[in-house]
Amino acid sequence: MFDRRWTKLIRDLTTHRLRTTLVVLSIAVGIFAVGVVMGGRGILVREFDEDFTTSTPASAQFMTEGLDAAVVRDVERRPDVRYADGRRRVAVRFTAEESPSEGTVGWPTMRLWAIPDFAAIRVQKIGRQSAASWPPGPGEIVLESGALQVEDFAIGDMITVEGPSGTRAPMRVVGFAHDINAYPAKFTSAITGFVSMESMDALDEPRDLNSMAVLFSKRDYTRGEASRMAADIRDTELASAGVRVVRTEVPEPGSHFFGDIFKAVSLLLLALGVLSLGLSAFLVVTTVSAIMAQQARQVGIMKAVGARTGQVTGMYLGLVVAYGLLAVAVALPAGLLAGRAFAEYGASVLNFRIVDYTPPLWVFVLEVGVGVLIPVAAAMVPIALGTKTPVAHALAATGISSSFGKGLIDRALGTLRGLPRPVALSLRNTFLRKGRLLLTLTTLALASAVVMSVLSARASMLKTVDDMSSWWRYDAQAILAQPAPASLVEREAESVDGVTAVETWVESQASLSRPDGTENESLFAIGLPPKTGFITPSVVAGRWLREGEADAVVVNTDITKEEKWIEPGDTIRLDIRGTEKEWKVVGIVTGQLMGPVAYMPSEALDSAMAAEGAVGRVLVQTSEHTAEAQRRAADQLDRKLDGAGVVVADTLTQTKQAEDIAGQFGILVVFLVIMASLLALVGVIGLIGTMSINVLESVREIGVMRATGAGHAAIFSIFITEGVVVALMAWAIGAVVSWPLSVFLVNALGVAMSLPLSYAFSYVGVLAWLAGVVLIAVLASIVPAWNASRVSVRDAIAYE
Amino acid sequence: MTPEDAPLPLIALDAVVKTYDTGEVPFTALREVNLHVHTGEFVGLIGKSGSGKTTLVNMITGIDRPTSGAVVVDGTPIHELSENELALWRGRTIGVVFQFFQLLPTLTTIENVMLPMDFANVIPSGERFDRAMHLLEQVEMADQAHKLPSALSGGQQQRVAIARALANDPPVIAADEPTGNLDSKTAEAVFTLFEELVERHKTIIMVTHDNDLAGRVRRALHVSDGEIVEERIHRARVGA
Repeated sequence: MFDRRWTKLIRDLTTHRLRTTLVVLSIAVGIFAVGVVMGGRGILVREFDEDFTTSTPASAQFMTEGLDAAVVRDVERRPDVRYADGRRRVAVRFTAEESPSEGTVGWPTMRLWAIPDFAAIRVQKIGRQSAASWPPGPGEIVLESGALQVEDFAIGDMITVEGPSGTRAPMRVVGFAHDINAYPAKFTSAITGFVSMESMDALDEPRDLNSMAVLFSKRDYTRGEASRMAADIRDTELASAGVRVVRTEVPEPGSHFFGDIFKAVSLLLLALGVLSLGLSAFLVVTTVSAIMAQQARQVGIMKAVGARTGQVTGMYLGLVVAYGLLAVAVALPAGLLAGRAFAEYGASVLNFRIVDYTPPLWVFVLEVGVGVLIPVAAAMVPIALGTKTPVAHALAATGISSSFGKGLIDRALGTLRGLPRPVALSLRNTFLRKGRLLLTLTTLALASAVVMSVLSARASMLKTVDDMSSWWRYDAQAILAQPAPASLVEREAESVDGVTAVETWVESQASLSRPDGTENESLFAIGLPPKTGFITPSVVAGRWLREGEADAVVVNTDITKEEKWIEPGDTIRLDIRGTEKEWKVVGIVTGQLMGPVAYMPSEALDSAMAAEGAVGRVLVQTSEHTAEAQRRAADQLDRKLDGAGVVVADTLTQTKQAEDIAGQFGILVVFLVIMASLLALVGVIGLIGTMSINVLESVREIGVMRATGAGHAAIFSIFITEGVVVALMAWAIGAVVSWPLSVFLVNALGVAMSLPLSYAFSYVGVLAWLAGVVLIAVLASIVPAWNASRVSVRDAIAYE
Repeated sequence: MTPEDAPLPLIALDAVVKTYDTGEVPFTALREVNLHVHTGEFVGLIGKSGSGKTTLVNMITGIDRPTSGAVVVDGTPIHELSENELALWRGRTIGVVFQFFQLLPTLTTIENVMLPMDFANVIPSGERFDRAMHLLEQVEMADQAHKLPSALSGGQQQRVAIARALANDPPVIAADEPTGNLDSKTAEAVFTLFEELVERHKTIIMVTHDNDLAGRVRRALHVSDGEIVEERIHRARVGA
């Protein structure tokens, strides 16, 4: 037969349903948060890794001129190369119209890959998703599925594609494929498409290869080794075959280009998980303390009839374990579902596929641990204190606290005059149970601090975007498909309506020779007038360029991040279009999410690359700076250049660029908001729990108040005011704590993203949270206050 | 009969002092109280509110501890026991009856009676139900065995509390104002129950401020200002 101790335990659970629900919810919200965060993170990390590894990412990628299949085969014969795959990459523009009019104004850009044999791809594999025809035949195109995030494509759609030569070709969308190595369309505004080599004919493009992805035989190698191997391939097989390498990309081995953002997100999630755990523990301590206070008399009775401390401790620990198991039963499936949704969202943002939505086993173990062990650990102290209370004390408990008035705060509150009596009572009630108040305040203040820090982190990201945008002072710009004479481009640009200033830039890929003999191949060189009016460089070391400097260069922090040895005053060797030249670093400027860039005077770069006055980019400033005016200027610039025979690869407006930069931060902002919401939820549940338990514990006091004439409204307002007082205190403490916490968070994010963020404290966020927390306090107190106002005198005095 | 031949008392309080630290001025609830109670005695502690009678009974049950002096019950110096030892000892030696019944609200009548058996583990588990039912029959509550306390009247709850006090067949029953919360008819019934227990050689210490009841106990001790100021022996009513 069931021991009466456990009968009591079960009855306690089932009789006090409101209390059981609150305790279970308090624990469940912690388990839920851990399930969502850790589960979601576990799925994201594993599946991202799995998807990325399955794609067989390239050890090195070469952008070339004049590559053919025979050279690719030669490269593959090298003992240090396992696979080498050749493709053709073309930057095109497209429109969803079947018979578009002249000009490509407003046409989006597309990275088009012509693949000789889809079945033979071994490096940077493409996963077929939904394709009516695979591989795509002539005149057919398969789009990378990220395209669906920016436009509503469907199988069977006809699009018109214009190649770099200006030739147009209609193409039918025959399906969608997944390529984890393609930049998501969401961030670059450029979608990716795959066609057969035959489709190049229709665009008047040669069937030559111009891109080679190589996988090294060696499994473990450093980036330095990879750089050396890539340089060796370039200087032997490719050089001897007369292939000119325009750009070599050697990624960090095993690292995806989203690695930094992923790291930042992962760090955030981990921080959230740990915070949720901490807050849940506080909640549990608060709740169990309250239960023990409420059960003091029963503990006394049991001890009076012969229960030993160990037996009573066992009973209440059993009760806590039961609460924990119930919470696990509620939160585990909910966390599983939410974690799955969370991972799904992450995967859609970062453009990868999730095959298996099962969180790692350790997440389940952690959830059960959080649900059972943390409550048990948290309950130890309150249970020990509760069960050690002398029997006489426990039995003497009347339900009305008489300890108020002994402390400093109590006395201070007692001297407050002129307050309406119900408000004075609420204030003093708040401080009646100081231990519980401390725990509730800690929980809610921590949650508040995190919410406000997150809002400051968001403000900091927006400020960073603003700072980045204010670096640029153009209204519209056009990137040319092929370099064109500066004089022609400038003339056309000046004829655009409303243009007040024009500037052209010389551009080229470049590679930097390191002191150890290896090379950094992924640099971009920009030649611009030193007195440019189109950017406001923020110099972090040294100075900006000066007129007439033939060998001066300013590098950005994206270069020095990898090439830590570079300092102002150093001389560096740059290979620009096959010509090596020494340059003197005069300064370092902040990066602008453009990757590693070296700035030099236009004439200097022009002469180094023998460009003979040909430019790659034109920027204009206009009299109006609205998004609409900028778009109009960009469209007209596009049209004018097109009319002059200059093929434009892409146009950009400053507003659009700022949106793109903000979009990249957007992922983090969304994750931050999810994080803040979860923690706010923990805080809210905590406050509801505390308020409800306060009501349960104050039933006798309520009875006395009712007996002396307090109406429903008076009792109701006393408890609502108490909730608001707690929330205001938590807000004030949280606001103070949020300052150092947000500085830490913003710095940590900056480190994780390798991009120092500009710090901004969100005063608006602090005020918004004040409104939010007061509203939450009122909402959290409504049900308990309502219950309090309904207590009858008879019930209150008889309350056990 | 010489003092050496007299039987040892079941309960012996020797110079018991209890002082409460209530802030600036300590409050002495018991002042050097000496008391001997023998097996089968029915002792009534009477006195005004705040006189120290509850504190005195709490010394005997081990619910409270003396500041100085000794309390020996059934040969055990309970003032020397730890809280845990006290609980174990209490479960086997003393049954406590409170003024406000103090039944656990979530347990049924019979479960409340069985709970001390679970704690003390003296009665074999297979016998607990039958024993609890038997005790409930004695207090005429067997037909309410599966009801929750909230469904019982005050008198019924007190009967159950008495059955619970007898759960482990303790030699001593300590009752603090057991009829204080009952109407006169119910109080009479409860008192009659106590008289029957005394006839079965149980020792009962009962706190009361009801002079009629105090007149019916074997030995009435008048407590005032923490001291036993008067003792009356009533021979006629109880044949102990």
